Amino acid sequence: MSAFYEGLAEIFEVDVKEITPQFDLTSHNWDSLAIISTIALIDECYNKLVDGSVLAQCVFVSDVEALVRLAVAA
Amino acid sequence: MTVAALQPARNAPAAAPKGLTVANVRLRGVVTALPSRRLDNADFEAQFGPEGVADVVKITGVEHRYWVKDGQTTSDLCFVAAQRLLARLDWAPDSVDGLVFVSHTPDQRCPATACVLQSRLGLSARCQAFDVVLGCSGYVYGLWLASLLIHGGCRRVLLLNGDTSSLLINPEDRATALLFGDAGAASALEHSEGVPPIHFVLGTDGGGARNLIVAGGGFRPPTPDPRRASTFADHHLFMEGGEVFSFALRAVPKLVQETLANAGLEGDQIDALLLHQANRFMQRHIVKKLGLPEARAPMNIDRYGNTSSASIPLLMTTDLATRLTTEPMRIMSVGFGIGYSWGAALMTLDPLSCAETLAA
Repeated sequence: MSAFYEGLAEIFEVDVKEITPQFDLTSHNWDSLAIISTIALIDECYNKLVDGSVLAQCVFVSDVEALVRLAVAA
Repeated sequence: MTVAALQPARNAPAAAPKGLTVANVRLRGVVTALPSRRLDNADFEAQFGPEGVADVVKITGVEHRYWVKDGQTTSDLCFVAAQRLLARLDWAPDSVDGLVFVSHTPDQRCPATACVLQSRLGLSARCQAFDVVLGCSGYVYGLWLASLLIHGGCRRVLLLNGDTSSLLINPEDRATALLFGDAGAASALEHSEGVPPIHFVLGTDGGGARNLIVAGGGFRPPTPDPRRASTFADHHLFMEGGEVFSFALRAVPKLVQETLANAGLEGDQIDALLLHQANRFMQRHIVKKLGLPEARAPMNIDRYGNTSSASIPLLMTTDLATRLTTEPMRIMSVGFGIGYSWGAALMTLDPLSCAETLAA
């Protein structure tokens, strides 16, 4: 998950150490621009496309990771 | 296995066609007209704040765009472009048999703006003229229709594309207010024996209609959508950015690959990939996914914004103008977006007689 965490850190403009499964997206500018960037990041790291509306409902990084696992398993 | 199973079904075509193609159609020239009112990102800072603007620009890549002045319409821009194109090609008005106007921003709800333009341009009464309501995919659909008109017997066809999206945006919605620019384009196509076939791939997914929509202005009462903020009026363009983005990433690489496969070509055998200028971040991601060098997919969204169906001709009359008018090129135009609607056209071009950008 390291490239993925690094990407997230870049999107939210925080240190990569701050990105943990408990990282609260909604308190960090989880707007349409961050969602677009995250869709692209997931595609880059896992070659999977997730729906913007489903992604928008994620609250924590762990939610996003669960979504990715689901997409990878599908 | 029975003998019957080996026979093709009675009504099936003899062989599955390898995509859609139209031969003997030549693109002669392209002219694009831009309104003269230029808006820089700094012009939006009072409203959205410098950071608010910077956040959007990081994704869209738009540095400035041109918007129409009061009273100026898409057809005004297309008229200026078409008039110059006819003059450059020395096409007599009565030699044009077809005019196709592709836009979401016509002059009136009816009649078709194409009819008004036929008269304004002084084209003959033999000229067929009609509107097509498409946006980001509209250049490719326009090429397809113009090619079919020529295939059906028209000698020369004018394809006019454009939108004044600035008149559709909600000024309080930074995602769209900073993204769109206005432009009008004219392309000239004519019958010419021996021109290699243009390969087309076209598609639609109306399931995405609600994600990029101007809900009002038609005849169906707009359905309330909780995703639209209270600042949105029915005549504003609503865009669910994340949904549109995932649609584009899903559809476009597949579209490019399918078009190449139909033509029996590899990506490095096309000279330029003309992506609809939708959003810099999205375009870069698509180009990377396709494994193409960035230089192969020229980008001018920084200077003009997303100009809807005029974005591909605008790319031809700016970044590609010199090459297109001096050397033969194999190009693929790829439009995608509102509808959802998408299309690709792969053309082998002789040098164009003109590729110009005008101020209107």
